[in-house]
Amino acid sequence: MIEVLISAFVLASMYGLVAIGISFTWASIGMLNLAQGFIFTAGGYTAFLFAQIASSANLTGPLLSIGVIVSGMGGSAVAGLVVGAIAFLPLQDRQNFRTRSLIATLAISLIGAQLWLLLFGPQSKPLPPIFGDGRINFGDTGIGVGQLGTIIVASLMLALVIMWMRSSRSGLQMRAMMMNPLGAAVVGVSVRTTGMRVLAISGALSGLASVLLAQIFFVSPTSGVQPLTVGLIISLAGGLGSIPGTVAAAGLIGLAEAVTARYLQQSLVPFVQFAIVVLILIFRPRGLGGLLEDVRE
Amino acid sequence: MAILELAGVSAGYGPVRVLHDINLQINAGERVGLVGLNGHGKSTLLSTIVGLTGWQDGSILFEGREIGGRRTHGVGRRTPGIVRQGIALAPQGDAIFPGLSVKDNLDSGAYTGPSWRSRKRRRDHVLDVFPPLAKLLGQSAGTLSGGERRMVSVGRALMSDSKVYLVDEPSLGLAPKISLSLVTALCNIDLGDGAMIIAEQNLPLLDGKVDRVLGMHAGELKLDVGEALGDIPPSSGGHY
Repeated sequence: MIEVLISAFVLASMYGLVAIGISFTWASIGMLNLAQGFIFTAGGYTAFLFAQIASSANLTGPLLSIGVIVSGMGGSAVAGLVVGAIAFLPLQDRQNFRTRSLIATLAISLIGAQLWLLLFGPQSKPLPPIFGDGRINFGDTGIGVGQLGTIIVASLMLALVIMWMRSSRSGLQMRAMMMNPLGAAVVGVSVRTTGMRVLAISGALSGLASVLLAQIFFVSPTSGVQPLTVGLIISLAGGLGSIPGTVAAAGLIGLAEAVTARYLQQSLVPFVQFAIVVLILIFRPRGLGGLLEDVRE
Repeated sequence: MAILELAGVSAGYGPVRVLHDINLQINAGERVGLVGLNGHGKSTLLSTIVGLTGWQDGSILFEGREIGGRRTHGVGRRTPGIVRQGIALAPQGDAIFPGLSVKDNLDSGAYTGPSWRSRKRRRDHVLDVFPPLAKLLGQSAGTLSGGERRMVSVGRALMSDSKVYLVDEPSLGLAPKISLSLVTALCNIDLGDGAMIIAEQNLPLLDGKVDRVLGMHAGELKLDVGEALGDIPPSSGGHY
């Protein structure tokens, strides 16, 4: 039972990172970023390249772990900016931006997967273990050091980003833009600059998730598809743009996956996840966030 | 000296032309009322100054710098830049941030430039102008009444380090008593060498409180307001 809970937490924290990025991007610039999977994979491959360089330089220990995490986040942040430069900046003040950017990001996602295939080949690439292979046992159950590390690092990063969104000037600007783009413009917040900032931050969060997930599944050209799908599900169920809603939905979807995989069948996981989202959206069309967030209009 | 100078400004949305060849000079230290009926271009004029209309043409000089020019698309793309140069707009319909607290809403007005550091002092100043906001600072702005929202919206504009303040219909939708106190508060603010344009349908509200009243009719400026509206007794005390 405890093991199921732990694996639910691990999944929730990784999915949560991706979903928060999708949710922020949608709420602030109105772009449903289907290239988030491409951005996710970019982080994995950057971390892989870094690990190769690091191993030839005999780098080990905590420095290697930190380097892998930072390079993964950096790679994904850059990928986020690239997506912004292609799908956001040129289209932003055209008609039907939402549809156009949706198509553009879908294209980037498809082309991106082929690009990775071309550059790195079909074989999965392993990353070095970040947290070590140990296991902490208590009683007859236990928790892997990797799992514990994943939960801690992901929650810490989420907490940091949320705190930063709540208190810093750029964070306030982003939230202002999510709530009222006209109001943001008249207080001097540039949609274009802030939008690119949002894309870079969403990317960095995905990059962290990518590195963490690579501890379980290796990096492959299409390894971004699953996190993208689940991230979309979570951000929809959580209410696009709502931080508490997204966190709650990530917990719910992670738990659903862990329970289904443990007591039913791994292949039923997507079915259960989508069923949950459909149910949530039937009864709460604005997602869980409607429950938790203040009055919005 | 003119702080804001419009020459031959036209603007509109798509095929609709709202403003026709506007020429206007606002001097430093001046408080100007802009009156006219609904749909005659008051809001469009204020929006044009900060680049928020669909398209625009004609020169707009702010402290001698060109901020206008011809533009056929890119609604609002230049707005943040213009705002950062020192023009604050309190738009119609408030455009406040409903999920942020009143305090964060006010602080958002100081996002630009050096005013962020002095935001506490500025906030205190805004609270002096609108005392009712003092008790509401921690409250989420989405839960406020119409009058309070308007105060937040106007207060947010005052938070900035601007030279020109554009206030669009401060009385719209408010109870007469509240709108009177709001406009009075606006008209008591010391502008220094800045300027303020208040767009307003309700001319008596501005009576005697502004330096100059401009009338707007069908997208054109009518400088002689008494004639344009026909209901202002010449002895009412203002300098029309």
